Formats: sequence, structure tokens, C-alpha cells
Amino acid sequence: MSVWGALAGGFAGTIVLTTALAAGTQLRLTRMDISFLLGTAFTTDRTRARLVGYAVHFVNGLLFALIYYAGFLVLGRAGWKLGLLFGLAHAMFAGTTLVNVLLPAIHPRMGTPDSAADSSPLLESPGFMLLNYGRPTPVLTIAAHLAYGAIVGAFVAVSAH
Amino acid sequence: MSERQPPLRDYAIIGDGRTAALVARDGSIDWWCVPNLDSPSVFGALLDADRGGRFTLRPEHVTDVRRRYVPDTNVLETTFTTPTGRVRVIDALTLGGGGLAPLRELVRRVEGLDGRVSMRWKVAPRFGYGLAETRLEARRPYPVATSGNTAVAVCAWDAGTLEMSSHGVAGRFEAQAGMRATIAVVAAYGEPLVFPARDDVDRRIDATAAFWRDWSARLAYHGRWRDAVVRSALALKLLVFAPSGAIAAAPTTSLPEVIGGERNWDYRYSWIRDSAFMLESFLQLGCAAEAMSFFWWFMHATQRTLPRLHVLYRLDGGAHVPERILPLSGYRGSRPVRVGNAAATQLQLDAYGELVDAVYQYVQRGGQLGRDTGRDVARIADFVCAQWRNPDSGIWEVRAAPRHHTQSKAMCWVALERATRLVEAGLVPGRRAATWAREAAAIRQFIEDRCWSDARGSYVWYAGADGLDASLLLLPIMRYDAPDARRVHGTIDAVRRELGRGALLRRYTGDDGIAGGEGAFACCSFWLAEALAIGHRRRDAEDLIDELLGLANDVGLYAEEIDPASGAFLGNFPQGLVHLALISAAMAMHAGDA
Repeated sequence: MSVWGALAGGFAGTIVLTTALAAGTQLRLTRMDISFLLGTAFTTDRTRARLVGYAVHFVNGLLFALIYYAGFLVLGRAGWKLGLLFGLAHAMFAGTTLVNVLLPAIHPRMGTPDSAADSSPLLESPGFMLLNYGRPTPVLTIAAHLAYGAIVGAFVAVSAH
Repeated sequence: MSERQPPLRDYAIIGDGRTAALVARDGSIDWWCVPNLDSPSVFGALLDADRGGRFTLRPEHVTDVRRRYVPDTNVLETTFTTPTGRVRVIDALTLGGGGLAPLRELVRRVEGLDGRVSMRWKVAPRFGYGLAETRLEARRPYPVATSGNTAVAVCAWDAGTLEMSSHGVAGRFEAQAGMRATIAVVAAYGEPLVFPARDDVDRRIDATAAFWRDWSARLAYHGRWRDAVVRSALALKLLVFAPSGAIAAAPTTSLPEVIGGERNWDYRYSWIRDSAFMLESFLQLGCAAEAMSFFWWFMHATQRTLPRLHVLYRLDGGAHVPERILPLSGYRGSRPVRVGNAAATQLQLDAYGELVDAVYQYVQRGGQLGRDTGRDVARIADFVCAQWRNPDSGIWEVRAAPRHHTQSKAMCWVALERATRLVEAGLVPGRRAATWAREAAAIRQFIEDRCWSDARGSYVWYAGADGLDASLLLLPIMRYDAPDARRVHGTIDAVRRELGRGALLRRYTGDDGIAGGEGAFACCSFWLAEALAIGHRRRDAEDLIDELLGLANDVGLYAEEIDPASGAFLGNFPQGLVHLALISAAMAMHAGDA
């Protein structure tokens, strides 16, 4: 197993994940726009936000690949099936905690359940399992993360040979 | 049902260069497509009062309504008088400006003027022309309605306690002198909603009005009909789809040419013909940026089909515009309700002349023509040489069998004549210029021999026809003939005599392949005024323009047609071609002044 394999898998997996979400938007399944969500934490300029958001998302994709890699090391094995499991856990964590709770807490322009009259949130929060962005969003998000996990797992496994 | 669909004359338009909304005198917004002009509607009561959805805002008791646009802007101002006081409602689709603004923002601000006025409002969004499932949720901080990847939120400040129901979000409040209440409906498409802060909304309304004022101040017309010309230019600017530069013929679909009839078409596309006229008007008005943007768009959009032109293109430049029928009750029962437009694939030869003329005018006013565009013009000229002998559907897109329309032939002549001029200017390759000249002469021979009637003293609708066609007025306007030519004056007089009813003109007489009648086409009357002006009959032209301006609605807008008997508006609204013709007629008089 190689860390470079994990990083390469993370890069490829993030491309697939981002493309799947973008396709979901074009197919009218979801309003989940991860680059817009992340980028607006840094700037209010829409175009710049999407550029920054893509960059942040790719960095996140690489960081999560390293976390997967640590998991594979601890378990002493890697592969696309184990990657699928990691992806499922990743998706559940993202939908219930990461994007639902942590992102609104640190995003300067997103509302939280605590937002009161003295605040003016600019951005619609994702809600539990990102349901605010459309009913199919959880399914799409989980599917995209499963693909991400499988790709990272496969790359790490291949790099071991 | 019909009483819930006001007369078309009662509507005003607001817009932001991406989408537009129609606001009725009674305070109801009955048409708004999200996110773009050609997207499905969120408020579509205009086409189905029960299912379409709307945004109502009005006093409980109204004794008088006065409307105007905030001068030289596309921000609407409606003043309601009631037995207990007066309020003003400001309606705008705001421009984004700086900062994180909603993707689309429809704002209604209520200002108490005097006394106390009980106000009621209700936002009832219905996605997909009212045909898609709409989910309404009482979320924090604002109620949200969603369907697929489209969502709207209703943000209200000082507008009473929000009441949620399955039908929509409603509120009541009392407007006192000096108070302000604001309701913003913000929309997202394929992204999370952006919720506005109230101060930002107010700032954007002011910035939007300021933008329109600045834009109007740059218009190069200061003649007698300035207000009408500026209003027309502002209306046209709302039909410019800013993301691509395309220009829609109108912001609506299926508003009927006769109430209860089947002549109901989708005009939310860019017609090459209208657009070529639009380019000239923008150039005449000094709107170089819009002209260049559109020129680039149409040269780009037509690339895939050149040298053949489609009659119309989607606003994003696509050429695939399938027509389908929606199961809606229509405006005052006028069915079918169509989206898409089957005329897209017709052969309409006049568009070639209008396009090459637009290129010529663009160059005349300093526009740059690249080598590739020059080659494209040459290909179009070759295509015209090969095609002009064929019958076509003509400018009016008749769905009867194709004919040898006189106006189409004349525009083919215009295409070849302008192409030859561009060759002389060194902008178009001239290898086949001799062929173009020979074919242009043959076209003229055809028109003079077969499209002229000695009995009528006029050109006729099509070769061998007995009837007339108001588009023949475009022959002098496009300089097919010298302004003083006997045949020009004969045609103008005959069209006026036989198609006219007061200041208005019917398009033609005879069968066009579609059942039912229609009103008078407002653009034809302005063409008549321009033809008179060009033909040195200025007094007649002035009187006609004055009379026609009296037929606009209270905010200076025109629908495609006007019923000569009742003055009622018919057809899609507001129609770009009418406002183009108004500007062109006024500019022709202005040219005469100079």
C-alpha cells in the first residue's frame, strides 16, 4: 500500500464524485452544489466562490483519501469493496454531521437552527442528509461517496502490488 | 375564470436580463419563469388561473389604481387609493450587483403614503407551469417551495404574520403613512438558496433603478417621442437574455391572437428576423455593447446550421425547439397552450436578407467583421442564389403550403445587394460577386413581373395573388426601391386602404392554413409610419405615430396585436417587434429632422 496510491485515488475519486453531483444538478435531481457551498465561505463573488470551492473540495478529497489510507493500514488490507464501506461511512458522516452540523457552524454565511433575528444568514443550509436540496440528494450523495470510496480503495490496493 | 385573468392591457413587465415577470394592475404577478425567460413558470396564472400560481399583493378595498414606471427604469410603481388611505407598491426584479445575491430576486416593496391601508398578500408558487409537484415547507428562517432542482423562498419583513397553507404563504398587515414592508421571492436553480438581508434588498432596488436610469440616459434619441422610444428600448432590453446576448421575441407563450382561438405560440425564442431589426435599432440608439453582444451571439448560434438559417433559435443558441402542448386551460380558455415552436424548421427566405442587412448596418456603424464572418456572409449569399426560386412560408410563418412571397423575394434581393456592397468594402470574398449580381437582377425581374398588380397599383402578397400583405411595407424600409418610386407609393396607399382600420393594419387577407381570425398587427402600423416617413410624407407619418402611441397601455407597452374594435391587446406581450418598429419609425422621422 502506498500513500501515492491513496492520493491518486483521492484525486480520481473526487473527480468522479464532483461529476456525479454536477450531473445530478443537470438532471434536476438536486440543488447540491458543493463548490458553491464551500466557496461562499470565503467569498461572496459567485464565480470566484465556485473556483475556490472546487479547489477546497479537491484538497478535501485528498485529505479524506489519506484518512482512508490510514484505515487501510490499520486493517492491513485494502480494496474496492472495503473502499465501498468506507465511502458509505463517509457519506453518512457528511450527511448527518459534516455538512449538516459542522459546515453551518463554521460557514459565515449559512444559517443554523440557532440563527435569530439579529443575524442574516445568506445561504440555505443543507439540512439532515442534505434533504433541503431535494429528496433525491441523499441517494445521490451516498452513491457518489460509494464511488469515491471504491476508487480510493482500488487505487490503494493496486499500489500495493 | 376569466375575471381572474385580467385583460392583457393591464400588465406591465419587470425583468433583470435573465427572466421577466408580468404584473397586473390589480397587484397580481401572473407570470414568472425561473431561472430564465424560456424556463417553465413558477407563477403561471396567465395561462391557467387555477393551476398556474401567482403572487398577489393589494389593499383589501381599492378605489383607484395609478401606475407608471419609475422614470427611465424598468422598476414599476403602482399607487393604490383606498377609502382609508394610499399605498405605493414598488415592483422589481433586482440586478445582482456586488456581494452574494440570490440567483433571481423578485421584490415587492409597500410604502404607506397616507392614512391606513389594510394590505393582503399571497405567494402561491407552482413549478413547471403548474404541472410539476410543488413542495411547500415551513423552514427557518423562511418558507421554501421546491420542485426538482428549483426552489423559491419567501422572505417578508414588516408584512404581517406569515400564514402557511398547502396553497402558499400569505400575510396581512396595515400600511401606515411612512412605513415600509418588503416581500422578496428569491429563487435558486441547481444550487442552495441565497437568503437576502433586508438592507441588501432595499439597496438592490435602488441600485437596479439607478442602473436603468444610467442605461436610458445613454440612448441617442432626443426627439419628439422620447418617452415612447425610451420605454420601448427599456422593454427591448428586458428581452435581451444577458447570459448569451440572444434576444427573445416576447417573454410569454400562448397568449392568443384571438380570445378562445388556437393561434397561440411560444415567443420565448430568438427570431433571426426580429433580431436583425433589433441589432439595427440598438445601433441607431447608440447601444453598441448590446449590438455587439447580439451580433456575436447570432453569428455563433447560426454556425451549426450555416448557410441555412433556422427561423428561430433557443436563447442558449440551440436550434432544437420541439413544439408540445401543455394541459393548461390557457389564457381565458384559449387552447392549446404551446411550448416550443414548430416554425423553427420552416423555410423563410426573408430572414437571409434581414440578417445580411444587419451585418451591413453593423459594419456601417463601425462594427468589425472578421474574416470568418465575411466568409459566412458569402456562403449565405450563395445559398440565397440557390434557394430564392423556391416557395417559402414567408415572414408570417403561414402554415399553409409554401408560396412565392413577394417580401421574401425582395429580402433575397436585399441579401445579395448588401453582400455585394460588403464585397466592395473588401469585407467579404468576392469570387462569386458577379453571380450574386446576376441573381439579384433575376429576383428583381421576378418581383416586378409576377408580384406587381396593375389593377391594384401595388405589389401583392405573393406571385399571382390578388391580396395584399402589410409586410410589403418593408420593401421601402429595406430600400428595395427608391423612396420616391411610383410603385412604393402605390403599395403604401393600397396597403393602407385595403388592410387598414383606423391607425391599425391587418397583416393580410386570405387563407393562412390556420382556423380563426386575429387582431391587427401593431408592428405593421409602425412600419407604415416609417414607410411614409421614408417616402417624404412626414405629416402623415407624424399623425399616424401620434395616433398609435395613444393605443399603448398605461405604461407604454404593446402586445403583438390590437383588436381594432375594442382596443384590447392580443397575442404575446410585450412584443419586441412592435417596440422595434416604434423605435425605427421614430428614428426615421428623427433622421428626417437631421
